[in-house]
Amino acid sequence: MRVLIVEDEPDLQRVVWTCLQEEGYVVDAASDGEEGLYKAANWDYDVIVLDVMLPKLDGWQVLARLRKLKATPVLMLTARDTVHDRVKGLDAGADDYLVKPFQLAELLARLRALIRRAAGQSQPVIEIGDTHIDTVSRTVTRIGSLIPLTAMEYSLVELLALHRGKLVTRSMIYDKLYDEDDDTLSNLVDVHVSNIRRKLGHEFITTRRGQGYMIND
Amino acid sequence: MIKSLRWRLQLWHALLLTTVLIIFGGVVYALQWQTRLQQADAELDRVASVLTSRLRGLFPVPRSPNPGPWRPPNRGPGSSRPPEQTEDRGSPLIADALLPANVPLPVPPPWLIARPRDDQQQEDQSDARRRENRGPSRGGSRDGNREEGNRSGRNEQARDGQRGGPPEPPRDGSAGPRDSTRDQAGRWFSPAPGLGLPDEFNHLFEGDEHSFYFIIWDRNGTVLEKSKSVEEIPFPDLHTQADGLPVRQARMRDMQREVIHVSRFEINVLVGRSLVPDLSALHRNAFRLILTGLGVLSIGLAGGWWFSSRAIRPIAEMSAIAESISVKNLSTRINVSSTATELEQLGTVLNRTFDRLQSAFERQGQFTADASHELRTPVAVILSHAELALSRPRAVGDYQNTIQACRRAALRMKTLIDSLLLLARFDSGEPEIELRPVELDRLAVDAIEMLQPLADERHVKLSCRAEALTIDADHDRLFQVLTNLLSNAIRYNKPEGRVDVDVTSDEQSAIIRVVDSGVGIPTDELQHVFNRFYRVDKARTTAEGGCGLGLSICQTIVDAHHGSISAFSELHVGTTIEVRLPLAQNSSQPGVPSEASDKADTATSLTAASGR
Repeated sequence: MRVLIVEDEPDLQRVVWTCLQEEGYVVDAASDGEEGLYKAANWDYDVIVLDVMLPKLDGWQVLARLRKLKATPVLMLTARDTVHDRVKGLDAGADDYLVKPFQLAELLARLRALIRRAAGQSQPVIEIGDTHIDTVSRTVTRIGSLIPLTAMEYSLVELLALHRGKLVTRSMIYDKLYDEDDDTLSNLVDVHVSNIRRKLGHEFITTRRGQGYMIND
Repeated sequence: MIKSLRWRLQLWHALLLTTVLIIFGGVVYALQWQTRLQQADAELDRVASVLTSRLRGLFPVPRSPNPGPWRPPNRGPGSSRPPEQTEDRGSPLIADALLPANVPLPVPPPWLIARPRDDQQQEDQSDARRRENRGPSRGGSRDGNREEGNRSGRNEQARDGQRGGPPEPPRDGSAGPRDSTRDQAGRWFSPAPGLGLPDEFNHLFEGDEHSFYFIIWDRNGTVLEKSKSVEEIPFPDLHTQADGLPVRQARMRDMQREVIHVSRFEINVLVGRSLVPDLSALHRNAFRLILTGLGVLSIGLAGGWWFSSRAIRPIAEMSAIAESISVKNLSTRINVSSTATELEQLGTVLNRTFDRLQSAFERQGQFTADASHELRTPVAVILSHAELALSRPRAVGDYQNTIQACRRAALRMKTLIDSLLLLARFDSGEPEIELRPVELDRLAVDAIEMLQPLADERHVKLSCRAEALTIDADHDRLFQVLTNLLSNAIRYNKPEGRVDVDVTSDEQSAIIRVVDSGVGIPTDELQHVFNRFYRVDKARTTAEGGCGLGLSICQTIVDAHHGSISAFSELHVGTTIEVRLPLAQNSSQPGVPSEASDKADTATSLTAASGR
């Protein structure tokens, strides 16, 4: 899952960035409105964390311009918590709203909910046959027994599971699973896929040669 | 309740109305009284005229006017006395004088006109005399008169004297040839019918105590004739005027109205009447007047009440609206178009006040929101860093980073809180400035020295041109202003830019200018730069540091010094902030002492040196 943080307070940006990364997200960061809008428009993020008070372009402007381009879920971060501000935020196209100061756990929960909703999945646990993917605890179980997966492997499983029945292209996988600074070689995806197959069975992931991967519904 | 405007209005209204009514009633009463008096006078005059004309009939005047002094054709022995006044006037004048000039002769009553014939039947034993009196006066008749008269010759003499000669004032009881004649005058004249008054006329003098009465005195005060009812009245002793014109006098005696006519022979004819019936009629009228007045008063008060209700209703509406305006409902305004002009003005003024109130509230709300926003961000940093650090075991470096981030956030909060407290203290009106002589040039140099490291870091050159100038100011606060301005000028400068600090003065003020060569401020934003939490560059990065309160604080401090602060800017050229502070009494004259200018030079070179 790839997340963009647009936050101008460096310390806050850093802590959110670290936290999300530790949770297995791929995190990009922007320090002002213009940069944030640029990144949001040019990459497909699963969710964007957008501060309201930003230099150059404020959060409302970024949101308004972004909504003309794409429907990426946006979570607004703001210090203002009046009803008026919330209504304004939600009306402007924000998908959720979080008031500073916030707890990181709440931020994570809201982000997960946003990602699930965007994928048309309302339950936090995705069931594929006898395999259960818990997006909250980021674990995969098969018939009650925990399957040990690395963070990258889990992310790949979750990505494919959220888009199950649909083809997930390699570039999409790169977009979602690797941040902009990552220079990992592309064939590492194949490595992760073969590791997953080893743990969950070969038929769990279908390969469309030259195009990408998918999990059959 | 009595304190309410409406009741006061009503009270004044009632007072005014009552006063007007009382005055009006009083005037009406007086006019009525006067009219009554005039009527009474007219009646009395009429009666008196009748009496006078009776007297005239008794003492007829010869018809033919003689240019010379008139002599009666038959002079009795009593008339041997020479006429006194008439001689020079001539008798026609006397005849004229019989008609009182100042009193319009009343229309003679019908019985008077019809008299010559009617009365004859009624006349008593004095018929002949009266007929003679009444009849056209003829010179010849006088002789007959005298002969026929069964009265004493004295009467005739008296008559002669009266008729032909100038009246000799009778001196009662005093010596004089004619005194004796008057002894019988009362008998001669009395009773009333003796004057030949008709019955109807006599009726006037009969009846109750309020009817007419009369008394006729001769010139000596001897009562010649009087009506029955009259009591003793002192002799008025009036005389004709010097030119013989008759005299009329009206007077009040207790409740009696009396008119005294003095005409020929200075016979005083007093006719009186009690005014008691008039007075009671007047009192009845007055009672009606009071009743009417009360009616008018109540109608006026009701009208006044209605008017005051009408007038006050908009005020009541206004106060209701003003009452309804609260923090939660600041946007309500008085409907100005529906009120009267004066109230419209009041409504407009109130609306403007409400506008100011609303904007003050909005500013306050904005300020609070901004302040809380500014505080929330560092709190968010501290909380999330702590949360993240505690979520799992970390390396020592991670903890250090976390603690440093927390410290930065806490410092930022401290700065913000300090600024807010400072502003709040100034807002609440305890400026806490301590005025002492401050050397502005020294202050500028100190500030530059303090910010030199920041300037070096940004590659900005600082310079100072300062006159030696001492004013009364709060050193620490002023220093804060200067460092704020300088750090702004350095932060928002271009690389390799310059910041100049000028300290000069004019007649009234010391002027501190901080001129930078920075990016400048757009004109439309320039007016907001002193607003709290306003940031031209919305950046909140710690690198640029500010929370948007710096210039507000500067302004607050300068205001507390009764100075002024203003900003001028040109985009991409630079910004100038100018602070003007009033010169203190003991401020040194700029540039005059050589020592001071030396010092200024030193300062300039010093900053130039440190700027390098």
